[in-house]
Amino acid sequence: MSKPKVAFFDFAGCEGDQLQIANLEERLLDIASHLEIVNFREVKTEQADNYDIAFIEGSITRPEDEKRLKKIRKQAKMLIAMGACATIGGINCLKNFLGKQEYTSLVYGPYARHYSTYATRPVRAVVPVDGEIHGCPIDKEEFVLVVKSLLLGKIYIPPDYPVCVECKKAGNICQLEQGRLCLGMITRAGCKATCISAGSVCWGCRGPVPGANLDAARQVIDEHGFSWLEAEDRFRLYLGYFLRLQGWVYEQETT
Amino acid sequence: MSAHVVYLEQLPSLFEKWKEKFKLFVPQKKGDYYLLQEYERGQEICFDYDVIYNPIKSFLFPSYETLLDFDLKTYASKPVVDAEPQILFGIHPYDIKAINQLDQLMEMGSVDVNYRARRDKTVIMGLEPLRVAKTAFWSFMDAEKVDFGFDLFWTKIGPSAFVVEVGSVLGEELLFVNGKVDVATAAEKEVARRKHQEIVKKAKMQNVLKFPNTDIPKVMAKSFNSYVWIEKSRKCLSCGSCNFICPTCYCFDIQDEVDDLLKKGKRYRTWDGCMLRSFASIAGGHNFRKQVFERYRHRYMRKGRYIYDLLGELGCVGCGRCIQSCPARIANPLEIFNFLWEDVSYEK
Repeated sequence: MSKPKVAFFDFAGCEGDQLQIANLEERLLDIASHLEIVNFREVKTEQADNYDIAFIEGSITRPEDEKRLKKIRKQAKMLIAMGACATIGGINCLKNFLGKQEYTSLVYGPYARHYSTYATRPVRAVVPVDGEIHGCPIDKEEFVLVVKSLLLGKIYIPPDYPVCVECKKAGNICQLEQGRLCLGMITRAGCKATCISAGSVCWGCRGPVPGANLDAARQVIDEHGFSWLEAEDRFRLYLGYFLRLQGWVYEQETT
Repeated sequence: MSAHVVYLEQLPSLFEKWKEKFKLFVPQKKGDYYLLQEYERGQEICFDYDVIYNPIKSFLFPSYETLLDFDLKTYASKPVVDAEPQILFGIHPYDIKAINQLDQLMEMGSVDVNYRARRDKTVIMGLEPLRVAKTAFWSFMDAEKVDFGFDLFWTKIGPSAFVVEVGSVLGEELLFVNGKVDVATAAEKEVARRKHQEIVKKAKMQNVLKFPNTDIPKVMAKSFNSYVWIEKSRKCLSCGSCNFICPTCYCFDIQDEVDDLLKKGKRYRTWDGCMLRSFASIAGGHNFRKQVFERYRHRYMRKGRYIYDLLGELGCVGCGRCIQSCPARIANPLEIFNFLWEDVSYEK
């Protein structure tokens, strides 16, 4: 069997997820022994256009992006969205809460009219995806797990339970209980509660857990003494795309 | 079994001796919370803790535990059972009761080899509580005293003296590692007994279960269709905190993992919880408990009735950990039991 050809592409994002993969260092060689990497800007200079598996990083914020992504979708047998920007829209979705005029002039000032841009969308809102690796940045262990699952012909199912599960398994003391605003209760797990174990709180970078009860979360946050505005601000940071969805669209997107 | 007297100044030398052969875990204060952590020389031990934040089960049934090693090329596999000798010092009676319950559950049907191996190498040293947690109601769940399940049971009878009840031969050996200690006099035993009564009295003052706990299974049986499940679970986040923090919850999931070269792998188990959405989902996409309220109800039925049908004792020991750790403040067995009892009583 020939080795599957793998390519990495990035859209609106910081390329931090590809950096996470590069951070695998020696382990990357072991994993790459099963693959042929044809396009990986951060690691190698040669590039080719015949790939089987495409890893997409970043969100779709321009008409040009959309065209390019559709072309990649056509070529790739398998397309995997990687990182918060690609899977849930990520921080880029903050601009969805502003008017177009407002955010373009904020960013580009007087040159705003030269740039084409529209509301941010995750990859799966534009083309069908075969898999998603969540996180900002992604957990390199999870990336390795996805690649290994694909190689073994298994389907990787990302955890469908909240971060609280892994946080409790890690033996942490609840941050919310200690009076800090933590979004672990509605955020998809899979990160092994890294941030909380390191003393921070969960920011929700892996997106809402399937069937997340956001209304209950708002009430809980309110009961723990945080203002409505604080909670909404924190939600918007990563969950912006989902906050703008309504009714059945939300149901579909979160299950 | 016999009782002895040990003084506080004898403890460090005892601990040092034990540490030679065992990993020793003692209650320690961390911020406003108490954790069971490894003892280091000269460390202060928190005898007056109210409740250990994390359940003691994690020492016998860790959150991640390897069960098998396998080889993808030859399909050979071999079981992995690694258990280190350990001493859990300062365990409250309700937690000992929870461990006793786990012992029974893990031996039902076929024996859980990994659990048993760990349990056999674990020495449990009980401690009479000196304070009651705000959320605790163990005095109403028959968990204020245990008659077995410990190797030594310590009761602090004064600022620097303990009455130590011996529960096993190994416990006695450990107590005598530095030479024999004094046998407790009748007066000292009496003080220990009073200390126990005192703390139970204190515990009974708060978080009252309004009816005898033997009625809980009956009340639960009548409450399957109660509206309280839907009412309460509207705020449920399905986060499973109440499962993972519970000293008697023992469900687990089994998963495989392979190394980067795709040559070898391991099968491990990890905690699972019935409050999680996919807990009861099966092949074909069916889910036995798809609705939040069904899962919420299941957990209370489990604590109040199903475990009782299995073992003849309640699945809840009243430690109050779930009350403490539920972000939505809806996990409260005591409140549910009391509410349902009132509900059922009025129906008559």
